[in-house]
Amino acid sequence: MNLAAHRKHYGPVPLLAAGSDALITEVERAGLTGRGGATFSTGRKLRAVATANAGRGARVVVANGSESEPASSKDAVLLARSPHLVLDGIQLCAAAVGASRGYLCLGSRSPAARSVREAFAERDRAGLGGVPIEVVDAAADGYLAGQETALVSLLNGGRAVPAFVPPRPSDRGVRRQPTLVLNVETLAQVALIARYGATWFRSVGADDAPGSALVTVTGGVSRPGVREIPLGTPLGEVLRRSGLAAPAQAVLTGGYFGTWLPLPDAFRVPMSAPGLRAAGATFGAGVLAVLPASSCGLAETARVAGYLASQIADQCGPCRNGMPALAEAMNWIAFGRPDADIIGWARQLTGLITGRGACHLPDGAAVLARSALAVFSADLRAHATAGPCGRAQVAATLPIPPRSHR
Amino acid sequence: MTSAHPVAIVVTSSTPLWYTTRATGLVALVLLTAAMAAGLLSSVRFEHRSWPRFVTLGLHRNLSLLALAFTVLHILTTVLDTFVSIPLQDAVVPFIGTYRPFWLGLGAIAFDLMLALIVTSLMRARMGLRSWRLVHWTAYACWPIAVVHGLGTGTDTPVRWVLALTAACVLVVVVLTLWRLALSWPQRPGWATTGLVLVVLAVVAGGAWLRAGPLAPNWSARAGTHSSQSRAASSTSAGASK
Amino acid sequence: MSELPAHQPADPVHELELRVNPIACDAHGVCIELLPELITADPWGYPVIRPGPVPLRLLALARRAVADCPTLALLLAERQEGRQQPDRSRARRQG
Repeated sequence: MNLAAHRKHYGPVPLLAAGSDALITEVERAGLTGRGGATFSTGRKLRAVATANAGRGARVVVANGSESEPASSKDAVLLARSPHLVLDGIQLCAAAVGASRGYLCLGSRSPAARSVREAFAERDRAGLGGVPIEVVDAAADGYLAGQETALVSLLNGGRAVPAFVPPRPSDRGVRRQPTLVLNVETLAQVALIARYGATWFRSVGADDAPGSALVTVTGGVSRPGVREIPLGTPLGEVLRRSGLAAPAQAVLTGGYFGTWLPLPDAFRVPMSAPGLRAAGATFGAGVLAVLPASSCGLAETARVAGYLASQIADQCGPCRNGMPALAEAMNWIAFGRPDADIIGWARQLTGLITGRGACHLPDGAAVLARSALAVFSADLRAHATAGPCGRAQVAATLPIPPRSHR
Repeated sequence: MTSAHPVAIVVTSSTPLWYTTRATGLVALVLLTAAMAAGLLSSVRFEHRSWPRFVTLGLHRNLSLLALAFTVLHILTTVLDTFVSIPLQDAVVPFIGTYRPFWLGLGAIAFDLMLALIVTSLMRARMGLRSWRLVHWTAYACWPIAVVHGLGTGTDTPVRWVLALTAACVLVVVVLTLWRLALSWPQRPGWATTGLVLVVLAVVAGGAWLRAGPLAPNWSARAGTHSSQSRAASSTSAGASK
Repeated sequence: MSELPAHQPADPVHELELRVNPIACDAHGVCIELLPELITADPWGYPVIRPGPVPLRLLALARRAVADCPTLALLLAERQEGRQQPDRSRARRQG
């Protein structure tokens, strides 16, 4: 959407008095939560950055569009279709927290990169002011590049590896300044809230999960892609709209750090953070990857576990040791003939790597593995008695990026 | 004249302070060596069923403090000894003295480094690991400087058991340092090789210097002792005049 | 995990807990030796810390373990209100 169409469709960006916290209050009232996977209260984050250092000194806004989650494409689609909404969001947040500059971190999906470049050019021509925004390519840095502290580390000239928290980026981030890191979809939502208000935002969605969100539906559906849904929509409804094809056995929610839910039981689960949490899953990055009945869930999980193990930052002992071990155990379970020992070892590993790293990559892998062992327990028993099923050799449903760098 | 037999020097000098200086110096060297050894053992993560890590760490800490205490005693007795004028500042500012200025100055440097090592270690939590570690690397300089100071300044260097003791200290530190280097070989072969070369060079150069310097005749004068400062000269001349 | 002896009052304001900075931790294992009541070793020698506040009777030993960590990876931090376990939902990257 070019600038003219953007202005026509959404209306003008409201002017914010410098130093006023009207926007922050409005976002807090709206109850907007992060759309990058953490579902942290955006209003709280804004306030934390605005008030850090007693409001003195420079601060930074970082728009996280790196979308390193392989199964997700919502950020790329958003940046390709509505870059101005995201850029509005950056400028609005910059004014609200008193930032002097911004960064937009992109993945490698070229449609989005070109669209963003054009959007910047249009804004320059139209004389739209605001803080300078630098576009940074975060593509080459792997799965962890999207992690908040890893992104800050990358912007500081280092490797995209997570840092120990404290200090949080909201206290000390890029160039040791308070840094606001928000997903590009969250920023787009902020731009909408600024125009239409919190009440408008809360008019869709659920009480405990207001607003709408972008979800990526992939896998065994006939119309995969990115959809905007009101939060709280039943999972089955979302899949139906995406053309749920041949019988599906399970769906992976959240992302590669997420949880398998069995189908059709999960149809009733509301697509929202609290709804999924109640079902033992997470909303995460809004990914729904449908596993057809013709695939083997354990094989898919093993492949993802192997990918995740290749993406570790190699900084923390439990992860450095536990992730490859978990990947190997899952591999054995999926493609070999697992006995009770290896299955027990896999379970033990999930416990050993959880909560013991600087980031939650191992936690996510543990959650994924545990949910696979639970949801695909019938397959597990079959593998244990008869070895790998033929379905393991079917083409992979879940995309695995080629292993490069790291 | 200073080429008297070493035994004669020992027998004819009579200042208790001088004895104490030499004794505390030697003890400080042994303690410093032991502290260094404990530090190296810790860095190679030595442990045994009956020798847990915290024992090594505790020994390293206590031996370092003891070494410092004996070094302070060594400095005090040297300063108090009126036979040769060595004011207190010579102990911390190197090379400004009149008695064997270079070799004494090395002692000042070693002492300064010891102070830095111990003070920073006491403040470790407050100063952050990176700065602490940077200062602690100077331990690899502090110890050999102390050894050379002892060999160069000490009048007991030619004495057989003193030489043997010093050699034992050097052997312990060299062996443990090589162990430490061997451990870092897989991850950082460049550093390990450089370290190995430095150790070998140091031992060879040190040995050569020892033979040509303190163990060769007339070292006292060559080291910068004026005849008025030489006890052997004053005692033999005193003895000769009797 | 309240293992305070009956006669010692619990400090209601400042509860301290042990945390390890996993990036700085290099599995020296000194803390595991010094405080086995609260810290055990995983299969690879890295510390596993028992969740919960440090009991008052072990506080001095905990401080010693913190001071003796060769890489200053062990920390004694104020317990955050209501945070029992690492909050999983805060996990995710992407902002």
